Amino acid sequence: MTTPEKANSTPKSSKFLLFLGCAIPYRVSSYEISTRKALAELGIELMEMPEYNCCGLPIDPVNHEMMLTLAARNLCLAERQGLNVVALCPGCAGTLRKVNKKLKENKELKEKINGYLKETGLEFKGTIEAKHILQLLVEDVGLEKIKAAVKKPLTYLEVTEHAGCHVTRPAEAVSFENPENPEALKNLIEATGAKYVEYIDKIACCGAPIAGVNDRIPLQLTREKLVHIRKAGAKALITVCPFCHMMFDTNQPRIERMFNETFKIPVLHYPQLLGLAMGFTPEELALKDLRVDTTHIVSQIIGKEEGD
Amino acid sequence: MSKANPKVKVKSSKTDEKVTSTPSAKPLSQKSEEKTLEISATAPIKAHEFDPHFKYEISKMHGGEKLMQCFQCGTCTSDCPIARFSDSYRPRTLIRMTLLGLKDRVLSSETLWLCAACFTCTDRCPQDVEVASVIRILRNTAVERGYVPLVFKELGSSILETGIAYRIPDLRLKKREQIGLPPLPKGNPEAIMKLANVTGFSKMLKKGEQA
Amino acid sequence: MGEENPRIGVFVCHCGLNIAGVIDVKELTEYAKTLPDVFYAKDNRYTCADPGQDEIRKAIKEHKLNRVVVAACSPRMHEPTFRKTCAEADLNPFFFEMANIREFSSWCHPSTPKEATEKAKDIVRMAVAKARLLRPLKEIEVPVTNKALVIGGGIAGISSALDLAEMGFRVYLLEKAESIGGHMAQLDKTFPTLDCSICIEGPKMVDVGRHSNIEIISYADLVSVSGYVGNFKVKIKKKPRYIIADNCTGCGECRDVCPIEYPNEWDVNMGVRKAISVPFEQAVPLVYTINLDHCIECYKCVDACGARQAINFDQEPEEIELEVGAIIVATGFDIYLPYDDPLYGYGKYDNVITALEFERLILAAGPTGGKVIRASDGKKPHSVSFIQCVGSRNLKKYEYCSGFCCMYALKNAILLKEKYKDDVEVYILYMDMRTAFKGYEEFYRRARDLGVTFIRGRASHVIEDPETKNLTIRAEDMTLGQPIELPAEMVVLCTAAVPKADAGDLARRLSISRGSDGFFMESHPKLKPIDTPVDGIFVAGACQAPKDIPYSVSQGSGAAARAATILSKEKWKIEPIIAEVNPELCRNTKVKCGICAERCPYGAIEVLEKQPAKVVTAMCHGCGTCVAECPADAITQKHFTDEQIFAQIEEALKEKPEGKILGFLCNWCCYAGADLAGTSRFEYPPLIRPIRVMCSGRVDRDFVLEAFRRGAGMVLVGACHLPYDCHYISGNWKMKTRMDALTPMLEKLGLSSQRFRVEYVSAAEGLKFAELMREMAEQLKELGPEKIEAENAKLKPILDRMLAKKLPQRVQQVVQQKAPQ
Repeated sequence: MTTPEKANSTPKSSKFLLFLGCAIPYRVSSYEISTRKALAELGIELMEMPEYNCCGLPIDPVNHEMMLTLAARNLCLAERQGLNVVALCPGCAGTLRKVNKKLKENKELKEKINGYLKETGLEFKGTIEAKHILQLLVEDVGLEKIKAAVKKPLTYLEVTEHAGCHVTRPAEAVSFENPENPEALKNLIEATGAKYVEYIDKIACCGAPIAGVNDRIPLQLTREKLVHIRKAGAKALITVCPFCHMMFDTNQPRIERMFNETFKIPVLHYPQLLGLAMGFTPEELALKDLRVDTTHIVSQIIGKEEGD
Repeated sequence: MSKANPKVKVKSSKTDEKVTSTPSAKPLSQKSEEKTLEISATAPIKAHEFDPHFKYEISKMHGGEKLMQCFQCGTCTSDCPIARFSDSYRPRTLIRMTLLGLKDRVLSSETLWLCAACFTCTDRCPQDVEVASVIRILRNTAVERGYVPLVFKELGSSILETGIAYRIPDLRLKKREQIGLPPLPKGNPEAIMKLANVTGFSKMLKKGEQA
Repeated sequence: MGEENPRIGVFVCHCGLNIAGVIDVKELTEYAKTLPDVFYAKDNRYTCADPGQDEIRKAIKEHKLNRVVVAACSPRMHEPTFRKTCAEADLNPFFFEMANIREFSSWCHPSTPKEATEKAKDIVRMAVAKARLLRPLKEIEVPVTNKALVIGGGIAGISSALDLAEMGFRVYLLEKAESIGGHMAQLDKTFPTLDCSICIEGPKMVDVGRHSNIEIISYADLVSVSGYVGNFKVKIKKKPRYIIADNCTGCGECRDVCPIEYPNEWDVNMGVRKAISVPFEQAVPLVYTINLDHCIECYKCVDACGARQAINFDQEPEEIELEVGAIIVATGFDIYLPYDDPLYGYGKYDNVITALEFERLILAAGPTGGKVIRASDGKKPHSVSFIQCVGSRNLKKYEYCSGFCCMYALKNAILLKEKYKDDVEVYILYMDMRTAFKGYEEFYRRARDLGVTFIRGRASHVIEDPETKNLTIRAEDMTLGQPIELPAEMVVLCTAAVPKADAGDLARRLSISRGSDGFFMESHPKLKPIDTPVDGIFVAGACQAPKDIPYSVSQGSGAAARAATILSKEKWKIEPIIAEVNPELCRNTKVKCGICAERCPYGAIEVLEKQPAKVVTAMCHGCGTCVAECPADAITQKHFTDEQIFAQIEEALKEKPEGKILGFLCNWCCYAGADLAGTSRFEYPPLIRPIRVMCSGRVDRDFVLEAFRRGAGMVLVGACHLPYDCHYISGNWKMKTRMDALTPMLEKLGLSSQRFRVEYVSAAEGLKFAELMREMAEQLKELGPEKIEAENAKLKPILDRMLAKKLPQRVQQVVQQKAPQ
């Protein structure tokens, strides 16, 4: 499996089309806001993607070819502009990546989907790449540059990650890093100076995808993870997915009530953590949009500033 | 992937163990899960229920090529996040029913819709069976028969109308302006509708209404 | 016999329905009758069976046939059979040619019987064309050195060595480690009898050490092997022990005073040994070794050794050379160490160990004195779980089943239960329990009786509790239908058996092949499981495939018997398919040349100043590289002459050549791979017309040019994989250089690049060959006959000119060669 340093051999870019997807503009603006701030600081230019549509993953269970076509349409729009795509949601990123790869490799499938796309005047050629923001940070920015951009190392903060599923799985299709031993987010967290903490079953899923059909199971799953996280002593949890974030943050009070637990573990998007380390204020990073109270960590940062 | 539909308030009962989901969807209550257990375990499975051609059909579809290599080792189920918290959801059993040709049982089963598509099973299968893809194929096939959980209909119709899976309220769009975010790109519903017709997606969505 | 006018008999085999089920054998036989010089043609249900062979012998006598063509299976299968048939009818066996219409037609083109029959007709016509030009040859006899080399001193090697020694042959037993014994000597008890392993192997090891006919060469590596069956020259390098073996009595006083300890590999690094020591007490030979990496040269050992003066720090590596007639490879296996799989935590979690480590724990003579304890706290575990199939039966790691792990897991479980009774709970997580042989199923019942719990479900994930270091195993108990989280205080991984790390290196030195799983390949998996494609070299034991002790011992004895068939003879017959220089054409008499000697992989050609080059018959292995390299076309290869090959090219491309692929396939790899494609019934379009050569080095560039001159749609040269697989060492490299120079020239002349392919296919790659055929057929279709004909029209005049210079010379050679040998 590739380690972040030795990843893809594709040349580095600094201009990307931003694929927002469906959930982020709808409910998780804090992820978008903090991302724009952090990436601008790192010299990445994000262009808006006109006319984009849902990546197709939510309706894959209904009709697979529609999913392939919807994803391919987005890839065609990006190909038209000749730019690579970065997505903040791993579901979108994983789907776009998978479909990109499948269509490039399977001639028959490509012909079929192009047959559908022809109706709207588009043709998939396979000339661009789609990435999740983690991959962009590791490959196109690089850990060194990120470390250099950190002005206030978060050395007093003990933090852990929810690795998520679609950033790395299925390994063969997404081909980013080893899903059983993911290192990218860990390295990125440590680059901010924060202390990284391990916990049992770090790579388990949060269950969010089936919350519309059965929400008891995902809540139990998420609760178990929070129990392990609490046991490991982490003071904050970092996510890179809007749905995982909703599961851990928006649903945390509910889980506490349902199962009679106390967690009070703030859940930040990675760009928010990075932003804090870069010196942005909590307001700039939309920390107030988070449901679980973050004053505790924030006060530590401010305290540090005053104490220096 | 189906997400919690925020438009409808989710009712959670006082005793938290009861399953609830969006009331407008097919309720998967405790009782209903027992029913599912019943479906997959009602003995005996009668001779007429075996359709040996089913596995060839499924393995011809994209993603199901290695289906018949499954030797029922249980790796997929052992670490499946959903199986660990469910009394009846077992990816291995869904594959088993497919291989045996228990077409009606598997396509009408409710646990078929519990897969979270996390791909842990696909990644770990020692025989390269794309377990999550086979389940997706089973779901596609179930949809053709008219089994479509409501949440997908909502997501689907939103996509056809706006291009994205949720209908974003105007308030949200205004808020973007306020905080200085660039305006959300407008979709292209005509293009999406054309694609939906030509792939058969719009037909599938309508099927759900007949079920 | 062998006069001017060929009288050819063609025998078309039905092979039951294997051929007749697809190919119209009657039509084929009638067609054969129409070919010039064919005086007799008959079809037959089973030509290789006695009645079939009888018919051939009768027909030879009745119809005065002087050439025989059998259209049936692969020559790699039955060429020797039918050569004998001819010899029995007083016909020189080299007047026989085989047309492969089974592996190369009926088996791989079942859905296109018409095309398969047409292809068979072409193949028969090609064989008849070659048969016309065959010459009588006499087998060469070489003397046999009646000594044997056994590489590897494990139980299989020991078995071979003892049997051969008892038969009266001198045996050299080469062992890489300090002592013989192999993995069996590391085990505690053996299944299903629970005999103490070293107790049953020890006496055998001592027998080997004592036997007057066996010389153990231990702590030594194989450097090179040259020569051929009956006459191998082996170079071995002995590593310095810094001990004079003859003076060492094995008393151990040096070890007692040595102050340095280091991890003992024999104990899987769980125990220690001294810088001067033996790996284990029962080592054979019982000679100590100093590990200079750890020795501090305090010389306390020299003092302790005293008058015996067995220690010599100035010892140098020693190279020795042996001459043997047969070689047995019994180098054994290693186990997979799953450091690369984070799901099991091996290497991270203290209490997750491999089965071999477990053996050393429970062994009374092991580093813990037989106590099974956890690495994390030194305490006895109350629950031990064995996880089966770690790395085995997994397409992502090793596809095969390792064979003995079910049994040794049962053994270890039973040992635990008998030692600790109800104090320890034992679980085995398995997919299948494979207990097939004598006493094995009964052993399984014994385990159940003792209370071992069997969980059918493949464990996928082991999680460690960071405080207690206890483990939780995630699996699905399939019989219950529930995912479970099984607690275990110790986890034993039963990992895959894999080929030794240097197996590839050894294969190269011996010129033997490895299968796709990395183990050494046998000649035929059913009928010749001990022979290798190289005459005189045999395999035994786990280096051929994972196997248990009784099977290894049996194979060891079997290999000894096979080797004895060579060693018991005074002379051994070698196929006379060797190269010969025509002194009148050799350029070296006029201008200094010597290209043949330089290119010969065996150095088998002598070139003296102003003298024509001369092939040393006994050293020539018959690759044909020199024949293709000679700029004067002065060398021929018997039985694979230029004329014969040109004739085959002509016949292959007689009709509709633009739709055909002409393939030059090397006997050992590509042709064998194509055979395997047929045997495995992989179907592909019937466009190829194959010409068999012994080595791809034989493929002259003129063959390729002639093929295009005659209008071939595509030309394929199929060889052994680079860099090391060529059975004639480097024939494939010479071919590559040759074709690398030819390709740009052809492309400049307007040839589409897809039309000339050089591919590397091994004998195990049947699927690859079939896929290559499908790919080439599709490309041929895409190019289309018009484009090909247009390119050919452009090429022909140029190629005519190029080859006209050479062809008359060849004709002259044929006239000369017609004189009786």
